[in-house]
Amino acid sequence: MKKMIIGNQAVAYGALSAGIDIATGYPGTPSSEALTELFNFSQKNDPSPYVEWSVNEKVAFEVATGAAWTGKRAITTMKMSGCNVASDSILSVAYSGTRGGLVIYIADDPGAEAGMPEQDTRLFALQAGLPLLEASTPQSAYKLTRFSFELSEKTELPVILRLVTSVSHAQEMVEGDYSYNRLDREASFERDIFKYTKAGSAICVGQHETLLLRLKQAERIVADRRINRLNCRNCSDSTGFSVVSSGSLIPYVNEELMNFEDVPHLALESIYPLDENIVIKMLKKSERVLILEELEPVVEIMIRSLANKLGWCGTILGKMDGLLPRTGKYEREVILKGLEALVRGNRKRKKHENEPIVETPSIGFSEITGNKQNRNDLPPVSIKHPITFCAGCPHRGTFMALVRAIKRNRMDRNKIIVTGDIGCTILGMNPPFNSCWTEVSMGSSIGLAQGFVRGGIREPVVATIGDSTFFHAGMPPLINAVQHRTGFLLIIMDNGWTCMTGFQPNPGTEERFQGANTRQVDISRLVQAMGIDDLQVINPFDQEHSEEVLSQALLARGVRVVIARKECAITVARRGEVESVCVVDPELCNFCKRCLRETGCQALFVSDYEDREIVKIDTDQCNGCTLCITSCPTDAISTGKIK
Amino acid sequence: MLTNIFISGLGGQGVVTLANLIAQCASEHGLKVSVFNSRGMAQRGGRVTSEIRISDNKNFIYGARISSGQADILLGMEIGESINSISYLKELGTAVILDYSFIPSEMILKKEAYPSQKETSELFLKKTKNLFFVDNPVSPYNIFLLGVFVLLIPLIDKELTFLTQSEVEKSILTIIKRETELSLKTFRQGYEYGAKLAESL
Repeated sequence: MKKMIIGNQAVAYGALSAGIDIATGYPGTPSSEALTELFNFSQKNDPSPYVEWSVNEKVAFEVATGAAWTGKRAITTMKMSGCNVASDSILSVAYSGTRGGLVIYIADDPGAEAGMPEQDTRLFALQAGLPLLEASTPQSAYKLTRFSFELSEKTELPVILRLVTSVSHAQEMVEGDYSYNRLDREASFERDIFKYTKAGSAICVGQHETLLLRLKQAERIVADRRINRLNCRNCSDSTGFSVVSSGSLIPYVNEELMNFEDVPHLALESIYPLDENIVIKMLKKSERVLILEELEPVVEIMIRSLANKLGWCGTILGKMDGLLPRTGKYEREVILKGLEALVRGNRKRKKHENEPIVETPSIGFSEITGNKQNRNDLPPVSIKHPITFCAGCPHRGTFMALVRAIKRNRMDRNKIIVTGDIGCTILGMNPPFNSCWTEVSMGSSIGLAQGFVRGGIREPVVATIGDSTFFHAGMPPLINAVQHRTGFLLIIMDNGWTCMTGFQPNPGTEERFQGANTRQVDISRLVQAMGIDDLQVINPFDQEHSEEVLSQALLARGVRVVIARKECAITVARRGEVESVCVVDPELCNFCKRCLRETGCQALFVSDYEDREIVKIDTDQCNGCTLCITSCPTDAISTGKIK
Repeated sequence: MLTNIFISGLGGQGVVTLANLIAQCASEHGLKVSVFNSRGMAQRGGRVTSEIRISDNKNFIYGARISSGQADILLGMEIGESINSISYLKELGTAVILDYSFIPSEMILKKEAYPSQKETSELFLKKTKNLFFVDNPVSPYNIFLLGVFVLLIPLIDKELTFLTQSEVEKSILTIIKRETELSLKTFRQGYEYGAKLAESL
């Protein structure tokens, strides 16, 4: 059966086809749709695997591991930053190994299209000593997901499955069985402290030795199953060049090589451990090798060291010689630059040896590069549409009230440090609020704020965080503040969902939206139990009260927590529960633009009325939050007109 | 045959739906098609783009991304975002651009100038003479633009002639679940507008 799906969904269907019993994860672009697909499947089908959005990636990985240790197949999904959170447990479990197939799906983001560091999970695989597979297309993501369970069970190692944004979000027809092949395994677990604990150096070193043996075994299995391909249609006529590409670049390299039948192409979908046999086969045919991979020179380091071990004395072109960049997504231009260098070097060599210059059949490269995109034709103007809070977003109200409270206290906005955190709440850094000063990692707003206080900042310090981020990694730093009596103001914006990544449920989501057999965790009871000095709850659409509460909380001492509680406007709108929208009376609008200046709401736009300009509201976008009403000095805006 | 179509616009304009409608037609026609949407900021007024690659080579797997300078066709749903996407357009490629501007409130407050249709044309004409501007679009813009585009196809790209009025209407009926009638009506309005645009050439 064929369906038009994205790479992330292909991972989900590959896992269902492999008969998983458990799937866990934490949302993070560009990985989220994998678990979303599994979650939706589990809500609609019986039998289905157990699927949960866990509180964070470390917990998600541990839940999956426990299930895999009972012999079941399990997958856990995350973005690359999540791998950092889970890494403590991943490294330990790597040494212990697994029984049932355990697959860690991680999406990397060369080019940082979704934000956060451009880190390369392939390097983490080397650190953890775990096999890493990388799919080149959604179709290969489906096949490789199935294979990763097999590889995991044969080697007794967790397997990392890596996709990059260009594949995880690419949509194409994928052939698959689109059904759940339940395995019906009995759960069992035997006590084996040599395998499942780290008590004592003998145990730990022994586990390390086992891990290395298992990696060797993984290399053999990958070679037997021909996961990596040396593509060459006419290799007997070899010119002495070869190209190696890793994962997502494979189809783009194939596309450029389409007209050049004589260039062997080693396409790697199993990245670590290096499939040495096939690399040796390629090296033997080649004098010059070009290695194409995005981000870090991971394959290049491994191939260079293998070449060195073999005493191979050809030339390797890649990143380590400075030819190709270590940053960003590779466009066609970069691939052509590499191929051009590969061919050009060949001609030079022939000349040097005083041989007649042989026009290689690959001459077409320069024809193509002659046409290449001229970097100078980038547009002379660039229009920035700043991303801001959605129309009706309660966070807009919280930041408006914070700006107003600072002003009311006659404090200098340029001196009030506001730490930001991951998720929608960070949009408070953009105009018109310009509030957040920092963004580091999940939960870091709370730890950083304490550092600013301990560093000696005299003005009040404010930390801002969303509900899901607070559950994920915000609780330990808050406990730290209580224990050490480090006073600051923490604003938790609780909109009931994990929104930036596509509205996944979190522990604070109402039970009726979470699926069967769940329980909502109340942040206000949680922080009170931690022993904070003061707690206030505000409705950010009640600006008068919110401003009052925040202005007092700014001036108070101790660990103060303000919870700004209102459900996400988009989830409300999607349920069709928006009751009214805001409208402008054109007669009353004097075009002072205070609403634009204070709210920055995208539902507001400038329009002509008779012979003058006024602000109008796009009723398709407006979700009736009424914040613009609090900005209008002439009472020109009111609620009305039901959608 | 390989055709690269790059669509750009803003969150809420229906860029992704437009891409899906074209992809559905290509797929129904037995062609290989891939779509890459970057829509992370779709709800938040940010830039949304869609990359469509259509080929008739059954035995070749293309990657889903379009590199700079490789788009045969650029469909622009907003002036600023069309300008931001100009680097994707091939030399002598075709651009069909809606004359619609969404000016960020920061720019309104700072009284910064937003590019006019004339300035935008001048920028594009440096790269291609195949430029079509769509004035006074009708909502939903994505469907209106599709109507204009489908009529212009015989003038633009012979390989896309599978995108006929009736085929696209079929895919609207399959894909658009809400206000389908309005979409069909808007599509026809776009198509008629395209006919006038073609006549004026």
